[in-house]
Amino acid sequence: MEVVKRIWKRNWIGYLFLTPWLIGLIGLTAIPMMTSLYLSFTSYDMFTSPDWIGAQNYLEMFQDRKWIASVKVTSIYVFLGVPLQLSFALAIALLLNKGIKGLKVYRAVYYVPSLFGGSVAIAILWRQIFGGEGLINNLLAYLGLQGMNWISSPDTALYTLIVLTIWQFGAPMVIFLAGLQQIPVDLYEAARIDGAGRFKQFVRITLPMLSPIILFNLIMQIISAFQAFTPAYIVSGGTGGPLNSTLFYTLYLYQNGFTQFQMGYASAMAWILLVTIGIVTALVFATSKKWVFYQG
Amino acid sequence: MKKRHLLGILLTLVLMIVSACNSGESASSDDQGSGDSSSTENQTDSGSGETGNKDAEEQEQVEIRFTWWGDTGRNEIYNAIVDRFEEENPNITVKREFGGWTDYWDKLTTQTAGGNAPDVVSMHQFYVSDYARRGALLPLNDFIDSGIIDTSNTPDSVINSGKIDDDVFMIAKGITMSGYVYNTAVLDELGIDYPDLNWTYEDLEKLSKQVVEASGGEIYGTSDYAGGQLQPNFRYYLRSLGKDLFTEDGQLGFESDDLNSWWAMWDSFRQQGLIPDAATTTEYEGAPLEQNMFVTGKTAFSQIPANQITLYQNQFDEGEIQIVRIPTPVGGDSGEFIEGAYLSVTESSENPEEAAKFINFFVNTEKSLELFKVEQGAPGNTKMSEFIKPLLEAPQVRTVEFIENTVELAKPAPYSPTGVTELEQVYKDNASAIAFGQMTVEEAVVDFMDQAERILK
Amino acid sequence: MKTEVASMEKGTKLSTNVNKKKSTIHISKILKHAFIIMLGVAMLYPLIWMFSSSFKPETEIFTSPSFWPETFTLANYVEGWKGLSGVSFGKFFYNSFFLVSLAIIGNVMSCSMAAYAFAKLDFAFKKVWFGLMLMTLMLPFHVTVIPQYIIFNNLEMVNTFWPLILPKFMAVEGFFIFLMVQFIRGIPRELEEAAEIDGCGKIRMYWNLILPLALPAVITTMIFTFIWTWNDFFGQLLYLSDINKYTVALGLRMFLDAMGQNSWGAMFAMSILSLVPLFAIFIFFQKYLIEGIATGGLKG
Repeated sequence: MEVVKRIWKRNWIGYLFLTPWLIGLIGLTAIPMMTSLYLSFTSYDMFTSPDWIGAQNYLEMFQDRKWIASVKVTSIYVFLGVPLQLSFALAIALLLNKGIKGLKVYRAVYYVPSLFGGSVAIAILWRQIFGGEGLINNLLAYLGLQGMNWISSPDTALYTLIVLTIWQFGAPMVIFLAGLQQIPVDLYEAARIDGAGRFKQFVRITLPMLSPIILFNLIMQIISAFQAFTPAYIVSGGTGGPLNSTLFYTLYLYQNGFTQFQMGYASAMAWILLVTIGIVTALVFATSKKWVFYQG
Repeated sequence: MKKRHLLGILLTLVLMIVSACNSGESASSDDQGSGDSSSTENQTDSGSGETGNKDAEEQEQVEIRFTWWGDTGRNEIYNAIVDRFEEENPNITVKREFGGWTDYWDKLTTQTAGGNAPDVVSMHQFYVSDYARRGALLPLNDFIDSGIIDTSNTPDSVINSGKIDDDVFMIAKGITMSGYVYNTAVLDELGIDYPDLNWTYEDLEKLSKQVVEASGGEIYGTSDYAGGQLQPNFRYYLRSLGKDLFTEDGQLGFESDDLNSWWAMWDSFRQQGLIPDAATTTEYEGAPLEQNMFVTGKTAFSQIPANQITLYQNQFDEGEIQIVRIPTPVGGDSGEFIEGAYLSVTESSENPEEAAKFINFFVNTEKSLELFKVEQGAPGNTKMSEFIKPLLEAPQVRTVEFIENTVELAKPAPYSPTGVTELEQVYKDNASAIAFGQMTVEEAVVDFMDQAERILK
Repeated sequence: MKTEVASMEKGTKLSTNVNKKKSTIHISKILKHAFIIMLGVAMLYPLIWMFSSSFKPETEIFTSPSFWPETFTLANYVEGWKGLSGVSFGKFFYNSFFLVSLAIIGNVMSCSMAAYAFAKLDFAFKKVWFGLMLMTLMLPFHVTVIPQYIIFNNLEMVNTFWPLILPKFMAVEGFFIFLMVQFIRGIPRELEEAAEIDGCGKIRMYWNLILPLALPAVITTMIFTFIWTWNDFFGQLLYLSDINKYTVALGLRMFLDAMGQNSWGAMFAMSILSLVPLFAIFIFFQKYLIEGIATGGLKG
C-alpha cells in the first residue's frame, strides 16, 4: 500500500501531462505501427488478406538492385543535404537575428520558398530553372558556356533536388531564430565588457546556448531527409528517374506499396528505414552529451 | 510586458475556438442534410417533384457513391449527368467523389484496402487486372443477363474489352483507339507531306528525317516511345507481328528477338537524331500536356489516344490536329485493340443493383450522352454514338471518325497478369538505360527477359 | 549593383583618409544589405513568376517568353474562385481555416503538455516513452496510412474533419513535442525553484511560468502547424470526399489532371490567394520572434 502510494505520488503529475499523448499513442499511432510490422512479414496486396511469409521480404531487399539504388540516393541526400541546409539556415538566422533595418521584411521574404511546401508549382519552376532551356542555361549561354540538362541527367538530377531542399530552409531558420531569442542579452553584455570580439561571442555564447536547438534541428532534419519524398515525387513526376538517380527510399517504398500493390514489401522497407534512422539518431544523441549544453 | 504578449496569444486562441465551434456546427448540419453539394441537391429535388413521386414513396431511399478522375471540365459534365440520374430516380442519391488521375488511384487504393470503396468506380485498363483479379470488383454478368445493364446495342468487341477471363468487370463509358497526331500547320510550314492513315515505321523514319532536315534540327520527328508504358506502342508492334505482351495464361507472349528489334529500331532513330536524346526525353516525361514536346513544338508527331484530339487542338492557334494509325512494321498486320474508360461496381457495394442501374443510365441514355458526347472516348453503344454525332465540334468529329475506322481492325486483347506493373517498371528502366548509353540493346534485352521470368513466375 | 560598387570605392578611399573604423562598418552594412537583397530575389523568384502568370490568359502562360503579362486579365481569379458545382473557393478557405484553427489549438495544448512532462517532470519510464515518441516519427507514413484509415473508417469518421483534427489533440506530431522539450529544458531552474518557494504547483507552473517562457517555441509551433496543415493535402485527400468539405489544398489540385487539361491560370491564381493567409500569419506571429521574450526581460 505504502509502495503504491509512493509510486503514485512520484509519477502521477508526469503522467497527467502525458495523458493526451499516451491516448494518441495507443489509439492512433501504436496500432498502425504494429500492423505494419506484422505486414512486413507477409505478402500483402492490400485487397486480399495477408499471407505470412516470414523474413522473405527482408531477404529479398538485399538482392533488389532498385532498393540498393534507393539506399545510395537517400544516403547522398542525407549526408549532403542536411548539413548544407542547416548551415545555410543558421547563417541566415544569424544574419537576420538583430540589428538590421527591414528585418521583418527580409525574414518574411526568406520564408517564402517554404510556404510552397510540395506544391505542383515547384515542379514547373524547377523545370524553368534547371531544364534544358532553363534559367541556369540561359545565364551560362550569356557567359558563353555550354549548359546541360540539369534535372534530367543522371549525374546532376539529385543535386538539383538538394538545391531545392536548401532553398526551402525556412523551417529550421525560424527555429534557430526562436532559439536565438532565448539567449539572455546580459550574457553578451558581460562578454563585451570582458573584451570578447564578435567571433569569440559566437563561439563562446551563441553556439553553446543554441546547442539544444541545433541538436533538435539536426535530428529532425535527419529524420525528414531519410523520409524525403515530396521533392522527387513532384520534380521527377514520381518516377525516381533518370536512371533511378532520384529514387528516394520512400519514393520506392511508395511505388511498391501503392502502384505495385506490394504493401508487405513496402512495410519491410519502412521498418528497415526506422531501424536505420533510429541508429543514426541514437548516435547523434550519444555525441550530444559532449556538445549540447542545457542551462540549469 | 511579458504577460501582455501572452494575453494577446490567448485571446487569439479563444477567438479561434469560438469561430471553430461555429463552423463545427455548420459542418455537422451539412452532414445531416444528407451531404451532397447543396445547390445541385435543390435542383434535383424541385425537378423530381412530379416524375417519380409514387415510386419514391414506395421505394427505400438508397445512397450510392460514384467516383471518377478528371479535369474541371469533366467534373462539371459528370456532375450534371449525375443530377439527371437523381432526377429520374428520386429514391437514389449519388454522392460524388473526384480528383486528378494520380490522386484518384491513391485514394481508391486506400479506400478499397480500408473497406470503404465507393459503389461505382471509374476503371482503366492499366489497373483493372489489379482490382479484378484481387476480388475488388463485382462481375456484372448477372446485371447484363437481367437487362439492368442493357448491352443490346453494344458490339461484342466493346463488351469483351471489359472482360477479364470470362467475367465482365467493366462497362465502357467511352472507347478510344490510339494513333499518331500531327499539326497540319507545322507540316505545311516545313513543306512535308502528311502521313498516310496506314503507315509504317519506315515511313515514320523517312518523314522524321525530313522534319529534322527542314527545320534545321529544331524539331524532332517524334518522342522516344522505346520505353514508358508497355502499351499501346510496344503492344501494337508485337500484335502486328502476330504476338502479344502476354499469353492467355499470363506468360510472356513474345521472344527476346522481338524486343531486340523494337529497342534497336528506336536506338537507331536516336542515333540519327530523329528523336530526342535521353536527357531531353526524361525532362519532358512528366510534363503536363500544356508543356509536352508536341504542344511546345519540339516534335512533329505524337502518339495519343484519339479522344484527346480536342484537348490538343485547344493548345494550338493554327492548324488542325489530324490523326493516323500507330505505324506498323513493314508488312505487319494491324495491332489495334480497344482502349477506353470504364465503369465498375465494387465487390463491397451494398447496393449493387442501384449501382448497375446508374451505369446503365450513364452509358445508354440520351440524357446522359447528350452531356457526355466524347468526353472519355466515343460511346460504346452504337445507337448513342449516332445520337451524339450532330452535337459534336470538328475536332470531336475527327475523334469519332478515327475510332470508327480503326475499331474494325481491333482484335481481342487479353488482360495482363498481376505482376504487370513491376514488369513495366523494368521495361521502362531498361529502355532508359539504353537511351543513356548505360546498357547496350542486347544487355537490356537479356536483363529484361531474366527479370520477366522472375516476376511472372 | 553599380551604386554598390561606387559606394564601395568611395568607402575604400574614405577609409584610407580619415575614420577607418566607421567607414568599414558602413561598407559592411551596405554589403550585407546588398547580399540579403540579392539572395532575397532568388527566394522570391517563384512567387513573382507565379504572380505574373496568374494574370496571364491561359494560353500565354507557357508560351510567352515575357515576364510581364502581354494581355492582363483577371479571368483566372474569377474562374478559379468559382470553384466547382456551385461550391466556391470561399468555402474551401473557410474549411481550411476551420481545420487549421483546431489543429493549432490541439497541437499547442497537447504538445506543450507532453513537452513539459518530458523536459521538467520526473516519472517512471520517461526515457522509454521519449524514445517511443521519436520512433513514431521514424516510420514513413505510407505504411501506416491504411491501418489508420481502417481505424477511422470503423469509427465512422471518414469524410469528416475528425481524422485530421483528433490526432492534433493527441500530440501525434512528435516534432512539436521535441521542439518544445528543447526550449523548455533551456529555462533556468532557478526560476522554477523561486516559483516553487512561492507555493506554485506543477500545473500552475506549467501555465504561468513554462508556457510564457517557452513562447518562442509556442509561436513556432503555431506558425508551422498553420502552414503544414494548410498545405498537407494527402490526409485531406484521403479523408475528405464531399466537395462541401474540400479545403484549399484539395481545391488547388482539382485544377490539375495528369490525363486531361490543366487549368494552370486558375491554379496559379488560387495558389496566390492561398499564400496570402500563410504569409499574413507569418508576418503577424514573427514579431514575437523578433522582440524576443528573452528570459532577461522577464526577471525585471
